[in-house]
Amino acid sequence: MTEPPAAGGNAPRRRAIVAAAAVAALALGAGVAWWLRTDPSPAKRDASALLEIALPDAAGVSQPLAQWRGKVLVVNFWATWCAPCREEMPMFIAAQEKHGPRGLQFVGIAVDEAAKVKQFASEIGLNYPALIGGYGAMELSRTLGNQIMALPFTIVVDRQGGVALTQLGPVKPAQLDQIIALTR
Amino acid sequence: MPRRRARDLAAERRTFVGRGAALVGAAFAFVHIGIGAADLKLLPPEEAFRFSARALDTRTLEANFGIEKGYYLYRDKFSFALEPAPHALAVPTLPPGKLKDDEFFGRVETYRDRVVVRLPLAEAAPGRTLTLIANSQGCADAGVCYPPSTQRIVLTLPAADGRPGPLIEATPAKKRWFN
Repeated sequence: MTEPPAAGGNAPRRRAIVAAAAVAALALGAGVAWWLRTDPSPAKRDASALLEIALPDAAGVSQPLAQWRGKVLVVNFWATWCAPCREEMPMFIAAQEKHGPRGLQFVGIAVDEAAKVKQFASEIGLNYPALIGGYGAMELSRTLGNQIMALPFTIVVDRQGGVALTQLGPVKPAQLDQIIALTR
Repeated sequence: MPRRRARDLAAERRTFVGRGAALVGAAFAFVHIGIGAADLKLLPPEEAFRFSARALDTRTLEANFGIEKGYYLYRDKFSFALEPAPHALAVPTLPPGKLKDDEFFGRVETYRDRVVVRLPLAEAAPGRTLTLIANSQGCADAGVCYPPSTQRIVLTLPAADGRPGPLIEATPAKKRWFN
């Protein structure tokens, strides 16, 4: 239509409405952003808190996670009593074997007892470190975003020390491809 | 010119909705960078597995587990205990579960929907207030398992000629709308 824009008394009022709407939209956007940022999801967060911890391996030797700084670090919380955890581990073993030399490093944190971990590790031929977290590891995983506190839970740290992924439930093959791509 | 005014306002409203949506979208995009997370929609364990219990008579308790659709409990992970000593439970008979062929655990029995376990006491304890302790462990079909859980319910057994006690929930159910 070719009608001129409305003029007169209504225009300032409409501008005020637009301004108010814009402020409301900004407030809503900021609110959502804030809510999401305080939400458990720690995507693209700094992983320094995780890299500062040290846990014993099955032999009782303390293993600081910082030793893998600079690699693409896949920290997988698991347990021998967790069937879906056991199911995805052969996929991790294969990826460690194939892409380990290029800087991909899997580390398992077992919400379990050392003896059971040791036995299972030899059964499936685990080729990456299995650290013993006990039930305290469940709480550690919660601080990293595992609000439901279920297993498996996986957190991926990129070479720069940023959290690239947190995943509750099994890692999908497509996600594993993306994780592997981080080594390039 | 009321018609044109209505149209302008409608346009403004569209702009407003558009701006709002863009901002919300930007907020999401800002947070969700990195590898596409594929987190599952999951219930916390106390909502997936709701434990309740009651005293049936002077020497029998009953444990109830309400299990949400898509979740299951392992039969062989159940155990029960009673406090304080010297009160104790006799060995309960767990109802048969559904057989599940597990790649690692072999044939395991699981419970779905609901399981009710009768728990006989070693000796009658009329009128006594006791704590029933239940250990259980379960998983979700979506592909996660919950750690073993220990829950407690304080129950008062009826007097010798009393009626069964009320059903008591392990944890106060979270307040929900329409519920």
